[in-house]
Order: sequence, then C-alpha cells, then structure tokens
Amino acid sequence: MSRRRITVATAVLAVAGLALTACTAQPAGEEGGLSVDLTNLATTTEPGTQAVELVKWNLPYEPMSLDPMYTFNYAENTVVANLCDSLVRMKPDLSTEPGLAASVEQPDDTTIVYTLRDGVAFWDGSPLTAEDVVYSLQRQTGDTTTSYFASYFQNVASITATAANEVTVKLTQPDVLFTQAMATAAGAIVSKAAAEAAGDAFGTPDGGLQCTGPFSLAAWNSGKSIELAANPGYWDHAMVPKAAGLEFSFIADESTAVNALRTGDVDGQFFYLPPAGLTQLEQSDEVTTTYGKSLVFWTMTTTNFDGGLGDERIRQALSLAIDRAALTKVVFQGAGIPATTLAGPDYWGYEREAFEEAFGEFSAEPDLEQAKALVAEAGTAAPIVLAVQGSSAVHEQTANVIQAAGQAIGLDIQTKVIPVEQFGNLYFDPAAREGIDGFFTTNYGSFADALDVYQFFASTDSHNYTGWDLADEQLFAARAETDDAARAASVIEAQQIITEQLPWIPLAYEPVTLVQNDRISGATASFAYLYAPWAATIGGVE
Amino acid sequence: MSFGAYLARRTGGLLLVLLVTSFIVFGLLYLAPGSPLAFILGPRGGTTEQIAAVTAQYHLNDPFFVRYVAWLGDLLRGDLGYSIVYRQDVSALISGRIGTTLALVAMAALLIAVVGIAAGTFAALRGGWSDQLTSTLAAIGLSTPSFVIGVALISVFAVGLGWFPTFGSGGGGMDTLVHLALPAVALSVASAAYLARITRASVLEERGREHVQTATVRGLAPGYIVRHHVLRNSLVPIVTVLGLTIATLIAGAVVVENVFALDGLGSLLVRAILQRDFAVVQAVILVLVVAFVLVNAVVDVLYTFIDPRIVLGSRK
Repeated sequence: MSRRRITVATAVLAVAGLALTACTAQPAGEEGGLSVDLTNLATTTEPGTQAVELVKWNLPYEPMSLDPMYTFNYAENTVVANLCDSLVRMKPDLSTEPGLAASVEQPDDTTIVYTLRDGVAFWDGSPLTAEDVVYSLQRQTGDTTTSYFASYFQNVASITATAANEVTVKLTQPDVLFTQAMATAAGAIVSKAAAEAAGDAFGTPDGGLQCTGPFSLAAWNSGKSIELAANPGYWDHAMVPKAAGLEFSFIADESTAVNALRTGDVDGQFFYLPPAGLTQLEQSDEVTTTYGKSLVFWTMTTTNFDGGLGDERIRQALSLAIDRAALTKVVFQGAGIPATTLAGPDYWGYEREAFEEAFGEFSAEPDLEQAKALVAEAGTAAPIVLAVQGSSAVHEQTANVIQAAGQAIGLDIQTKVIPVEQFGNLYFDPAAREGIDGFFTTNYGSFADALDVYQFFASTDSHNYTGWDLADEQLFAARAETDDAARAASVIEAQQIITEQLPWIPLAYEPVTLVQNDRISGATASFAYLYAPWAATIGGVE
Repeated sequence: MSFGAYLARRTGGLLLVLLVTSFIVFGLLYLAPGSPLAFILGPRGGTTEQIAAVTAQYHLNDPFFVRYVAWLGDLLRGDLGYSIVYRQDVSALISGRIGTTLALVAMAALLIAVVGIAAGTFAALRGGWSDQLTSTLAAIGLSTPSFVIGVALISVFAVGLGWFPTFGSGGGGMDTLVHLALPAVALSVASAAYLARITRASVLEERGREHVQTATVRGLAPGYIVRHHVLRNSLVPIVTVLGLTIATLIAGAVVVENVFALDGLGSLLVRAILQRDFAVVQAVILVLVVAFVLVNAVVDVLYTFIDPRIVLGSRK
C-alpha cells in the first residue's frame, strides 16, 4: 500500500518543510511562480561514460518482495526494474519498444502473439523459453491469484506456447489494458524452474530470484541492503551496466536520506514526492537534482457519498475553492504542477492532439464566487471528514489548504489522523473507511494511457469506493477498443464526465525527483524507472 | 539457595512470564481492529475471491484460541512461525536484525554505565559548581528527545565534520563500531543522565554513613574510602537501575533506529504491530521478555558479588 504513502516524515520535518518553503518562495512569473515547467520535464540524464565499482542507491523503505507479481510499489519496482525484463520495455519517454518479445502481433482483437527474442538467458545461464513466459503470465490469472496485477489479467482466456519461441494469449474480450500492462512488472518474466523450486519464498531474502535483466540479485541482507551485480551477458549490448555493482539501502527518514545524499554516503535516490530537504539538495554542490516526466498525481479521493461529499455540487464547489497553485508551492515546494484533470499530459501516449484539446477546456483556477453559488444551491451540507495520514507533512499541509478552502465557502471540513501503517487499510477495507468521506493519496496509472487512471471509476473497480457509475459505458467501451482514435474519443468523453462530476478531486501532478551524486550520471529520470532498467546507463563522470 | 536451584526457579519463572505475555499480546492484537490483508493483497486491493482465498490460506478468520494454540504448538516444535507480510520465516527476520540491536544496546549500555557513574560520582564528591553543572547537564539530557539528539549529531558529526557515516550499521567489526557510534550516543544520553542522578544520590547517601565517617576518622586515604566504602555500597541501586535501563533500550531504540536507518528489533516490532503481523510481534516480544529476564538474572548475580550478605534469589 505504501506506494501511495508518504514515508515517515515527523512533525519536525513538517516544520522544517514550512521553513524551507518560506526560503524558496519563487518570484511570481507568468506560470504562477512554479519552478517546475510541465512542458520541460526530463526523461533521461547525461549517460556517465566511466566504469564504476559500486553505485549506492537509497529506497524509502525495504521491499516486501522482489517477485515481480508482488511488486506494485515504489521501492519494490525501483529494484525489480533492473532485475527482470518485461515482454515489452517502457522507454524513458514512456513510449514502448520491444523487450523480451522481439515482436508483438495481434491477428485479431482477442489474440496476441508474442515472438520471443533469440539468445536470451537467465542469470544462471539457462535459456529463456516460451514455457517460462507462459508460467510467468499464467500464475497471474484466475480468481484466486494473489498477483498485485490481477486486474490486468481479468479478460485472459488462455496463455499457450504455440511454438518454441512463441506465446499466444487469447482474451475473452478485447482488452487494451492487458496489452499495455506487458510493459510493466505485470509482463516481467521469471524462470519457471527457479520459481517452482523456491515456492512461496521466491523473491524473498530466502528464496532468491531468477530473471534476465542487466543486473542480477547478488544478495538481500534482510533489514540492511539489497546488492545487485552487473550481468555481463545481458542480451541488450547497449544496456550492459557500467556499474559493476548496485547496492540499495533503506533509509526511511527523509532528513537522514537527504543528509546521506549530501555527504555522498549514498549516490542517488528517486523521490516520488519532493522531500522536505529539497532546497538543501538543490543548493548542494555534491548532487544534481532532476525533475522527470511522471504519471504520479496527488488527489483527494471520496469514500462515502452518504455524507457531505455525496452532492456533486459540494464536490464541485470544494474543487473550485482550492488554490492549486498555492498548494503546489506550499506543500510541494514548487516541485508540483496544479492538476486540472486526474490524468495529466504525460498520460497522452496516443492521439496527443485530441487529448490536448480536451485538456485545454479545463482550468485549475479557483473561482470562489461560483463555488459559493454552488454551495448555496446545494443547501446545508453535512460536515466532511477527511482521513489524514499521521506524521506526514504533505498530508497535514494539504488538509490545511482544503480546510481553508472549505471555510471560505462555508463548508465544515474536519480531519481524522490515521497512523501511516494503518492508512493502507483505507484502500480496501470498508470497515476502515467508516465515518470517513475522503482521504488524500498519491496514485498513478501504470503506463501512458489515461484510461488506466479513469478505469478506477468503473463501478466494478476496487478503487471505486462509492459505487459511482456515471462513466461506465465510456470506460468499458474504451477498454475494449483497440483503435487508438476511437479509444481516445471514449476516454476523453469519460474524462469530461469524471472531471465535471469529480468522484475524486485532482490536486497536483508530481514529477519524479531524481537526485544523483555528481560522481555519477545516467539514471532514467522519468516514471519509467519503475518498470525498465534505469541503472544500466549509470556511469562515472570524469 | 544454590546456583542450580536459583537457575531452575528463574527458568520456571521465565517460562510462566513468556506464556502469560504471549497470551496477552496475542489477545490484544486479536481484539484491535485491522488486518494484514492490505499487505498481502497489494495496493490494488483484491476481489472477493482473492480475499477469501488468502483469509483461508493464513487462517485469518479462525477463532482466537485455535490460532493461539496453533502458534504455541509451532513454538514448542521450535518454529517461530511465518511472517505473512514479508513471506519469510520469522526466525530469519529476527536473526537478520538481532545483531544490530545487540551491538547498539551493548555500546549504549557501556556509554551509560561509564558516563553515568563517572558523572554522578564526580558531582557527588566534588559538590559546588561541579555538582551544579552536572545536574544541569543531566536535566538537559533527560529532557531532550533522542531523535533531536540524533538529528543534531548527524548534522554536526556526519554532514558537518564528516567523521561518521550518516546512516546504516556497517559491514561488521570496526566498521560497525564507527557506524553505531552516533546512534549509541543518541540512545544513551537520556539514560546516562538518569543514571548520573541516581549515582549522585546514592553516593551522597553512602558518604554520610557512619562507617565512612569512621574510616575518615581513622585516617584512611580518601581514594581508598571512595572506592571501597562509598562506591561499593552505592553500587546496588546503580546496578539495579542500569539493568532495568538496558532491558528497555532494546525496544526503546526504535526512534533512534529510524533516524539512523538501522533496522533493529524495535523497528521490526513497531512495524509488525501496525501491520498485524502476529507471528513477528509474538516472536519479538518473546525475545524482549527473555532479554529482560536475562538482564535481571545477571543483576541478581552481580548483587551477590557487590554485597556478599545478599543471597542469590533471596527476597531481601
């Protein structure tokens, strides 16, 4: 659950964050004083040219598992992206290229044929076979699979090896999310023999891992570190790592992580939300901070339509009252972009012009007059209770902004603090959501298709806590539509409804914050770091 | 009481305490709301079928006594259980972390003992401004939260001066000592300050005793009197406090562990409690109880050396 969580940030950090924000207040420019330009986010960093012995990287917490089907979270995917190749590879600009499948063909809408690349071997030297691919996908299908990606496999009818180097997937109905998910950890291929031998321990410190990626898993010292070693026999010669080793530490405390980066005790880290010590990093001459293209967004979900948020006019009024430009400055120290829709421009992986045009019709500007009029029209609204994650500066500060916005238009907004380790229960336990009207969360679609985000609002999706169903028709049509233009039309229609009805309220787009020590360079700067080998291009800088 | 009988009684007591604690902890966890499902099913939650399958697989819906007895049975066979959140044996989780915790607590205990006793004795014997200064420092040390000390230590000694690493427990040997130096200091400040105050009070009391006055009148060397008559007699309360302090450091280190990114038993316990990872909570509690009883047994034995009149296991 913690992919949506803010890792430990104490009250002290909250204070420090506010103090730092004050120091970095940007001069108001034509973009509203934002220091991050949405149109100019990085995808890569200058590749390092020198061989390096060891690159030390930090994770915000220790992964729970490295088995790809249990990796749907920041720390887990940061590691696995370098270990296990997927059938399709996500490029740093979030488009795709062939991965372990040299070609992907769709003879008809419900059949997908993956032709495997020749000469690919697992770390132990055994060759990649169609059997391994069938196994890796098959185990994620069915009603009782425990794969975190199960929802992408819901329309899979069969997965069979149709030739020595060919795997054919049959779907019960066309599903564009399945095909695109093959560029994420859902499409990562593991060795059948190794996975069966290790059983439940596969992907844990005891059971090890067996994949084909540019790095191999050398050691996992539970509680301390994960060590990767370069795989010299990697099939993609352009991506053979320049770093002989890659070692992950697990510093959860943000101020300690920032200090470790400043002193060079660790060489780099991806932050999915800007850390409280961002200015210290920006000012340090030890490290370089890069902001990358990202699919991560910050939003207010709704969990209960029996209370104040049940009336869409109240949701619209609240959304209109929020000053998102101020929110990104105060909460994210300028390293955030006011969100007008839930899925932002980085999701436009196809039919870009159509999405751009539709996007242009929405505005993130506050309009208090209209908001007050909507509240008056709705009549008396019940108090709104928002769950706030304990010891998280970002949550607390956002709650303050939302409360202030509510107060300005006469809405009573209360907060309820929930400890960080229990916050995850909100996502799936109806009992945990009792008495709560909404909560804040970071979230992301897995690939550059806005449908993957809007799919949350299909009435059958586990994210749709309130049973809101006004866009079902468009969403189901889009998921089954393999023609890009027709799909874009359905998704844009769904986006229109969702952005007007606001089942969730968009707040900010969050670029990837990549910090690298100046002795190295080359890490992927974009969201693709979660699913494609981002460390293979890291090398030393002279 | 003979040493053998003492050992037998202590072991019996330990087993009884373990049984009662494990039952209470298990019961409290069972009653508290929440479940580990969120951590098993992953961020997208699960369908009704998935939830049912996982619930059955890990017996999450079994009645309390069935689960407790099953856990107890495994324990008697030497199996600490399986962490459903980490998909790992609990024994592996604990053995990976116990070394860090032991090294940290040992270093902190040494610092507490040396600094606490030295400062307390110094304050009591010198009096005047030395006493004032020590008492003031002790008050500051007692009232400063350990994470503030930790952050300050990192800023000054790791970032500023670059003498120590900012985080982690190092690769063993000297490296571990260097890595754990700052965390051990952060962990020991409050306890050392407390021990200093206890030592000061105890030494002051002993100094006024008749046998000390007699020794002084007889013209014995002041150093001899302090070592053999004052300090030795003050040691009983000092050792008692020291023992209790060390036992609580093991779980109490969690804040310091977090600041210095050390994964010890304290962090493991707190996380496991919040994740409802029953087997891990139970196992760490067992380790803590055993440590507590062991430390107190050592203190008991030490009493007999400090004061031969004290008989092992006596109630005096």
